[in-house]
Amino acid sequence: MEYVIIGNGIAGVSAAESIRPIDREGRITMIGDETFPPYCRPMISMVLEGAVGSDRLPIRGADFYERLDIRPLLGARVSEIDVDGKTVITEKGEAVSFDRLLIASGADPRPIKAEGLDLKNIFFMRTEAHVRGMERALPDVRRALVLGGGLVGFKAAYGLMCRGIEVTLLIRSGHPLSMQADAAAGKMILEKLTGRGLDVRTGLAVTAFSGKGRVRQAHLTDGSELPCDLAVIGKGVLPSRSFIPRDHIDLDLGVLVDDYLETNVSGIFAAGDVAETTDIARRSRWVNAIWPEAEAQGRIAGMNMAGQKIRYGGSLSRNVIRIFDTDILTAGIVTPESDAVYTAIQSKDPLYGTYRKMVFREDRLVGAVLVNRIEQGGVLTALIRSQMPITIEKERLLDPLFNVKMLMKQ
Amino acid sequence: MKQIMIHPERCVGCMQCMAACAAAHSRSGHLFAATLESPLPKPRIHVGSGLWEEGFPNRCRHCDPAPCLFACLPGAIFRDEKTNTVRVDPDRCINCASCAMACPFGVIRYHAVPFRGGKKVVAVKCDNCIERQGRGEIPACVEVCKSGALTFEESGEAMKRKTDAVSRSVSAGAEGTELPEGFSLLRAIKKARLQLQERR
Ligand SMILES: Cc1cc2nc3c(=O)[nH]c(=O)nc-3n(C[C@H](O)[C@H](O)[C@H](O)COP(=O)(O)OP(=O)(O)OC[C@H]3O[C@@H](n4cnc5c(N)ncnc54)[C@H](O)[C@@H]3O)c2cc1C
Repeated sequence: MEYVIIGNGIAGVSAAESIRPIDREGRITMIGDETFPPYCRPMISMVLEGAVGSDRLPIRGADFYERLDIRPLLGARVSEIDVDGKTVITEKGEAVSFDRLLIASGADPRPIKAEGLDLKNIFFMRTEAHVRGMERALPDVRRALVLGGGLVGFKAAYGLMCRGIEVTLLIRSGHPLSMQADAAAGKMILEKLTGRGLDVRTGLAVTAFSGKGRVRQAHLTDGSELPCDLAVIGKGVLPSRSFIPRDHIDLDLGVLVDDYLETNVSGIFAAGDVAETTDIARRSRWVNAIWPEAEAQGRIAGMNMAGQKIRYGGSLSRNVIRIFDTDILTAGIVTPESDAVYTAIQSKDPLYGTYRKMVFREDRLVGAVLVNRIEQGGVLTALIRSQMPITIEKERLLDPLFNVKMLMKQ
Repeated sequence: MKQIMIHPERCVGCMQCMAACAAAHSRSGHLFAATLESPLPKPRIHVGSGLWEEGFPNRCRHCDPAPCLFACLPGAIFRDEKTNTVRVDPDRCINCASCAMACPFGVIRYHAVPFRGGKKVVAVKCDNCIERQGRGEIPACVEVCKSGALTFEESGEAMKRKTDAVSRSVSAGAEGTELPEGFSLLRAIKKARLQLQERR
């Protein structure tokens, strides 16, 4: 059996690790753009922050490929999949044939349209190489501009602030992390950040960057100028799918997969940030580009590629964000669109700095926001996942003393 | 292999297990000295209360497969196969709380531990008192539990004891279950008190 895995991020790595114990003979080839050993992508922001060195990034030993008897093709980008010929072709023209293929190419930063993007010190923040570039630039940086208040933009801003750099964050909506947090939690985050000196501007975009060789100013849509000697573009990510033939493989925003993480083409699977799965809370297709889902999808896809039939229960958006002394945990639907379908309850305790919100669809929990005292977040997440009817008073879930026992039959 | 078993129906909510656990994971290992330490030792077993304020000792189940282990971003959570214990490597842990979202029992906490100067905040959970077991001692929470809510035994034996108790309780002329009456009485009192409060 010839297994080919495109991408050596956590989805690809987990897939390889679950194929190998089931099929000891099959040949596994991993094609990956990045040459760094398998690493913890979310941790790159901690490298920027200065909390850890990049030597702490790898999550598997240098012997990973050897230990699992994997043929690595690193520093190679797949440019084409020949579905009928069961072959993938790299940019360098190398052809690798497969019986089972996993597309685990992750996501790429969403590009922006602006002039002067070729200037030095304008970065995306997706790979360890990006952060290495930023680290090299840091000694000469006094003022930085971060575009986008999503998870990455926010983490970039936080990391730069920790380095003592003056940061301006440009965001479209009224508060950062509008995809992750509801308005109330978003406002609490915003207050924390501005309280520590972050300059936040909303409703503005960059039209151009200028400078001699390296960036010096950003020109904004309201005609104003902002001095900056480093800029980070954090306007979200898009599934990395340019090499996927849409006339053969069904695509929406991501690669569409069934409950077994297989695409419409038998033998071709997808997992991780590139895959579009069924979202448990939303009950619709969704790209949940988060680490734990990439890990689970890779693991399950790998088992299915090796001939087992393991069902993937669907994905759930969730995140924990820790800034200064505040923790924010969110899961599922946090800002319901319709009052007819969803009911939300919330509580706030200014003394402890806590805020909690639960979103229900009928008697099922579909979303939760916890600001501080987040320890029971896993119980709530499990409730959203299982879609178990909530038979106790819903307000109980808002109680900081809520625990799993309260859900058990007496 | 012996494991810690929880029998919540016997928990009276005295929280002695919490104090013993914190002391067992302190620098000194002794309760009184532990109260003076920095970082202040904290328990890894958490006595909460159910809907009727019944005691509920909650600790890591060392699940297999373990959701926290899969969700861990830096790969700091691992299984110690010999003792079947899910452990956190404080050196690798980045305090991201990804495991907080994964644990369906809500038993992971985040604070400093006596590790490298005791400044680093990390994920902390029950480690089955591996160190104590290495010295031939039983887990601290079990040692201190007076009501039998925590036992340390082979899981097969515990299962058999429970099955026997059930079969005794359904056979003719049986003396009832092995649970002494005091436990159900305590429970009934707590419940009645809450119900009275509600009615008021
Ligand atoms: C700064 C930052 C912070 C984050 N924080 C969190 C967090 O706190 N919690 C969380 O859950 N998630 C977080 N994430 C998201 C998380 O990192 C991703 O969800 C996860 O890494 C996805 O894994 P993956 O394997 O699907 O894709 P990736 O990690 O993107 O790996 C895909 C790999 O495939 C390679 N590739 C792409 N196209 C090709 C091609 N054509 N040929 C060959 N190779 C190719 C890529 O170079 C890449 O190495 C964060 C991400 C970033 C950038």
